[in-house]
Amino acid sequence: MRSLSLLIALLVSTSTLAFKRDSFKTCDQSGFCRRGRTLSTRAEAASESWQSPYYIDPSSILRDPTDAFFTATVKSTIYPHIRFTLEVRAHEDGVIRVQMDEVARLRRHYNEAASWALVRDPPLSTSARTRWLVGEKEMRTRYGSQGTTFEVVVQYNPLKVTTYLNGEEQVVLNGRGLLHMEHFRTKDTQPAQVEGAEAQQVPLQVNGAAWFEGEEQDAWWEETWLTWTDSKPKGPESLSLDITFPNHPHVYGIPEHATNMSLPSTTGPDAAYTDPYRLYNADVFEYLADSSVALYGAIPLMHAHGKKGTVAVFNAIGSDTWIDVGKKNGGTETHWISESGILDVFILPGPDPASVFSQYARLTGTPMLPPMYSLAYHQCRWNYVSSEDVRTVQRRFDEEDIPLDVIWLDIEYAEGHKYFIWDEKTFPDPVEMIADMEAKERKMVVIVDPHLKRESDYSVYKMASDLAVLVKPKSGEGEYEGWCWPGSSSWIDFFNPKSWELWVKLFKTKSVDGSWAWTQSSENVGIWNDMNEPSVFNGPEISMPRDNTHYGGWEHRDVHNINGMLFANQTYNALYHRSDPPKRPFVLTRAYYAGTQRFAAMWTGDNLGTWEHMAVGVKMVLSNGLAGMVFSGSDVGGFFGNPDPEMLVRWYGVGVFSPFFRAHAHIDTKRREPYLLDEPYKGMVKDMLRLRYAMLPIWYTAFKESSLTGIPILRPQYVMFPNDEQGFGIDDQFYLGSSGLLCKPVTTRGAISASLYLSDAQVYYDYVSHTAYRPSTSKTTGRTVTVPAALHEIPLLIRGGSILATRERPRRSSPLMKHDPFTLRVALDVDGGAKGELYLDDGEGFGYQQGELVWRAFQASTTRGKKAREIVVRSDDHAAAVPGMVSSSVSGNVFAKALEEVDVRVERVVVIGVDARPVSVSVAVGEAGVLGLEWTYEAGDGEKAGVVTIKDPAVGITKDWAVVIRF
Amino acid sequence: MFLWLLLALPLPAVAALDKTHGVSPALQAKYTPSASGTWFCLDGSKEIPWKAVNDDYCDCPDGSDEPGTSACPGTTFYCKNVGHIGATIPSSRVQDGLCELECCDGSDEAPGVCSNICEEVGKEYRKRVEAERKLRKTGSKIRATYIAFAQKEKNRIEKLTVDLEREVASRELEVERLRDIAKRAESISAAELERKKQSPLYQSLLTHQMALTSLRNEHNKHLETEKALGAILDSLRTGYNPNYQDMAVLEAVRGWEYLAGLPHINDIRKGEDSAEETQTQAPKVEEEGVWNADQIERELDRLLKTDHISLLLEHEKIVGHPATKSTLFEVTAYLPDSLVPHYVSLRDTVHSWLRVFGIESDASDTSDEANQARQALSDAEHSLKLTREEEETAYHDLSALFDPDGFGPEGEWKRLDGLCLEMDTGDYTYEVCLFDEARQKPNKGGSTVSLGKFSSWNKLAEPGELEYYTKQRYTQGTKCWNGPHRSLGLILSCGTENALLTVAELEKCEYQITGTSPALCRPLEDENRKDEL
Repeated sequence: MRSLSLLIALLVSTSTLAFKRDSFKTCDQSGFCRRGRTLSTRAEAASESWQSPYYIDPSSILRDPTDAFFTATVKSTIYPHIRFTLEVRAHEDGVIRVQMDEVARLRRHYNEAASWALVRDPPLSTSARTRWLVGEKEMRTRYGSQGTTFEVVVQYNPLKVTTYLNGEEQVVLNGRGLLHMEHFRTKDTQPAQVEGAEAQQVPLQVNGAAWFEGEEQDAWWEETWLTWTDSKPKGPESLSLDITFPNHPHVYGIPEHATNMSLPSTTGPDAAYTDPYRLYNADVFEYLADSSVALYGAIPLMHAHGKKGTVAVFNAIGSDTWIDVGKKNGGTETHWISESGILDVFILPGPDPASVFSQYARLTGTPMLPPMYSLAYHQCRWNYVSSEDVRTVQRRFDEEDIPLDVIWLDIEYAEGHKYFIWDEKTFPDPVEMIADMEAKERKMVVIVDPHLKRESDYSVYKMASDLAVLVKPKSGEGEYEGWCWPGSSSWIDFFNPKSWELWVKLFKTKSVDGSWAWTQSSENVGIWNDMNEPSVFNGPEISMPRDNTHYGGWEHRDVHNINGMLFANQTYNALYHRSDPPKRPFVLTRAYYAGTQRFAAMWTGDNLGTWEHMAVGVKMVLSNGLAGMVFSGSDVGGFFGNPDPEMLVRWYGVGVFSPFFRAHAHIDTKRREPYLLDEPYKGMVKDMLRLRYAMLPIWYTAFKESSLTGIPILRPQYVMFPNDEQGFGIDDQFYLGSSGLLCKPVTTRGAISASLYLSDAQVYYDYVSHTAYRPSTSKTTGRTVTVPAALHEIPLLIRGGSILATRERPRRSSPLMKHDPFTLRVALDVDGGAKGELYLDDGEGFGYQQGELVWRAFQASTTRGKKAREIVVRSDDHAAAVPGMVSSSVSGNVFAKALEEVDVRVERVVVIGVDARPVSVSVAVGEAGVLGLEWTYEAGDGEKAGVVTIKDPAVGITKDWAVVIRF
Repeated sequence: MFLWLLLALPLPAVAALDKTHGVSPALQAKYTPSASGTWFCLDGSKEIPWKAVNDDYCDCPDGSDEPGTSACPGTTFYCKNVGHIGATIPSSRVQDGLCELECCDGSDEAPGVCSNICEEVGKEYRKRVEAERKLRKTGSKIRATYIAFAQKEKNRIEKLTVDLEREVASRELEVERLRDIAKRAESISAAELERKKQSPLYQSLLTHQMALTSLRNEHNKHLETEKALGAILDSLRTGYNPNYQDMAVLEAVRGWEYLAGLPHINDIRKGEDSAEETQTQAPKVEEEGVWNADQIERELDRLLKTDHISLLLEHEKIVGHPATKSTLFEVTAYLPDSLVPHYVSLRDTVHSWLRVFGIESDASDTSDEANQARQALSDAEHSLKLTREEEETAYHDLSALFDPDGFGPEGEWKRLDGLCLEMDTGDYTYEVCLFDEARQKPNKGGSTVSLGKFSSWNKLAEPGELEYYTKQRYTQGTKCWNGPHRSLGLILSCGTENALLTVAELEKCEYQITGTSPALCRPLEDENRKDEL
């Protein structure tokens, strides 16, 4: 009977597969989070009488002669014998770095998180810009430019750091007195026993820290959860810090969570979630579409935004971190609770979204410029089962004339899940298979996961084992063994520099010094790094035990969130060194940390084929973009489940407007490649894919800009219009780069129309129908327009004032478009003007760093003479205008020359918003003189904009020219 | 590589293209200018200057003005391929820097980019066609023997049906005759029998019979459930992912292993040798006299088939007339064999007289006879039924033989009915018994899994078309844990052997096997005309 009821329970539970809440800790089940949250509860209860025990000893303050930073000793009233050092630095771009560490007695707190995240040591400011003034109660410095004055005040007692913008508070550290760095202790010490205190006082002993830390030693040492025991040899070492944004009602960032872009509260009466947001890279099976639980990646960067400006905080910490968010008096209070590590906080002063992006990019690096092909369409499935299968998929795409750039191979290509090693039964000819793809200028991406099957005849494992670069168990000796896809596995410790050289060797397509190399591969194969949270099937929270040992003696708990980034980083490095000259590597990673944007794209992991997941995927891509991971996307179709045709078509609509565009499916699902759809769905998806390919020049230009400034590819409303309060919470529509395209993918069933929110008094045109959405007056703000959104339509508007360059000839793959002519779409603004850019290079190498590129600026203007009126559309070199960019007009620009030789030209100019029939159209190219052009005019009406289509001006894309439309 | 080639060549403007470049022979005539130097788009929707044809800009809504460029999406390009066969490619492949194999004359790219390789391609093509012809020729010879076999089968079955028809007729007569006898015998004994049936013993026996039948049905139902649950748990045990440490799953697996006396699956996964021993189960101690499962099955069958009426009569005989058989019936024992027939007829006459005059009671003897008559009738009826079935099968076989939906219009597949083809992939051997069942047999021990039973030919084609016989569907195989029933698509092509070539599981539990068969090699004459076009 018992077994029967067990069985029934089993059957029921499998039929409703879902997120396994029990596999992951709640704050309440995590000792340090519990301590951190009760600290906050005590502070709240104490209200006004609560005061942080931490204070600066003023006599200890040391100002650096350069005046860029000062150091001081911090003490606390609860543990008077413990000393901390505080260092506050001002950097040249106004970023403030606050570091605090315990003066080493027993051991050291982990202090290397920033070194992995930062692209370099950020340059310090000079005294000419910042000068620290020593006051009686505080240190202060003031800097800035006209109209933007920043001020930083470091209060001694209690310790508090406040930054101001034009006199208004921006960021306050320890304003609520929740700062607490648990000092290292020996196990037998009583919590409040002051060193040298008299033993005779025991009966009357008062725990002096109890008001702050509580009476109990709650989970200080060994901690057991389910079947796992964390030995915690270092004892309590957590870090609690409150960060308040008194004037910013919205906070964004701290990915990865499946939630709104403007983060809902986790505390207070309006709390949307009971648990804090958590940053702890985790392989979450069938995650919820609306939750604060930790997902695969972790970036401890939070933006705060309001009408008074934008500011951000980067808390460089690599351990398990929980973040409470609460709203108060038009501001936002946050509380960060981390398991280990020093306090190392960067305050990015803004004052606007664009400034915050570039400040963050200067710290952790700009996103890489990806190879062009990786912006095209990726077709993936767990699994394409054989080389014949791969060839068939490619053939079917070609038969249907549906564009495709990449076919992916998931884990089943590898014999026994030994990555790099092809299963000869199903993939007998991998090199030929890859060559068959490359013959159509396509690529393959193959998965390499971080777990290595523990089998001595597996070269990769053997080499790593011989080098002793595998992660060690808590003993610090031998190899940690866990369970993953291949069964018993070990993990390379990429914190160990010795592993880097090994990783480079493995990816070579020809053996170096006789050691094993991936000769069954090609120099164009991209790599997919999955499971790098790391996912360990039999480990606590599906990951490694926290007391595992990494290089340098650090525990896994110290580096958990950084670990996955190093894997992708080293894969990037290995691919970079695979060919000479190097090609731009493409790496996709699931786990990530601050800085990963320099190496890899990310996707939102194992989503479900539901409308909720489709919708939250858009929000997650926006959130990741704000935190630097601009090259991101969700699995089109949903990883789990079988989407019906309507859902699949809509999901392609989402994918077409995602920076990373890949369809993927679980092994249990039915096949769903676009060619398998019936009409009319197949035709819809084909058209959407062709739209993506036509727009690749727009995407590529956006990536170029992002790779220079760190600004996201997909820009939410608040980034575009930082002063329009109504747009601050909008996360279901976005602008594509600086192109002026505004998109709102449909993520609901049965939709026939969609509402878009427009912030500005500007005209917007429907991309396809040219319907004009005009502002009623020049002062119009905040309006909603309704656009058609039948299944074949993606709501897509062009903002007046934009010029778009597209390539409209369908091709099988994106490299085959490189000699195709361009179409320019000129969408005139309310004043008859427009601007746009086009960036081009070879799309695969690093020649662009030597100026082998073409960067054009297009401009349109309307002049009104006494009688005649004319519209001029012109093209000029833009590269010279970009700071730090080698001009594309330098001699020896072989790329530009190549385009000229095959006459890559503009084949069509479409001018939208022309309200009268022109008289003539002509073009002037350099000294070649003026040439009359053919054109057609479609008159507008109250709804539709008038459109002039100019036939083939035959102007080279690299050339300066001007087209004149006369009336 | 082609791209670099392209870069190296200073190209003349594309405008130099011939106006009929890329136009298929059928449409050539339509590409001529009007007297005024204009041209109408093929759909008639627009008049454009003749110079706008093939000028690398799409003017016509139907794209017909750019037959030789890629300017109009969704159109086609024709390459002449002189020396080979002309071909049509999508406009998306024109001027993309790749030399299309289909356009061996290189006309799909700008002049000078692709060389004309039609001679080479044509030669290879002809070689390939020749090889295919050879294969078809050899294959069709084998196929001819299949057809001959089907003809032989036809003759055999036709003859069989004639014999069977005759046999049915004679058996029908026999049944009629016996039915008459039984009827007569029964009419005499029916009333008596009804009376005897009132015996409480008989009634109780019927109740027991009913109880046994019901119990057995219930028992079978339980066995089925247990088997199904066992299968579910077995797949759970071997297939579950130690991922996520789901305690409920682990407990279920361990519980099942205990119950079924299996070793823990993770131990097997770790060291396959050590686990073997635990497989052997302790021999069960059997209680004396108690039936084991096989005996139960056998005895129960026998018990339930018991003819209770015969039993009742038998019982009457033993209880009512203990050893008092009339001596008259014993006489035969003393007579010489040659006299027995005479004696029997005499005896029967005497008996009937005695009965007529009411001297001898017919109670027990008549029912015995009725019983025998009934038995004879039932036997004859059964034989008739079997013969009729045989006849039906023969007719069915005959019609299936040349049914386009069955063994093909010429019966060419009949020879392969039930033929089992095998393929060893290392871990498994795949076996397809044509028109029967497909199986996956693990090579390293474990149970064989059905991939399905034959259900249909290629439903996307019409019966009779060659295409129809290139695919067989096998469905309703063993159910996957948490998934569908296994199924198989068998994709066949012409070959000189009946063989399997590849196996793939394209979707979970949906297999695809490719193979060859001479049955698909239709004779060349069939399509010679088409080939020459």
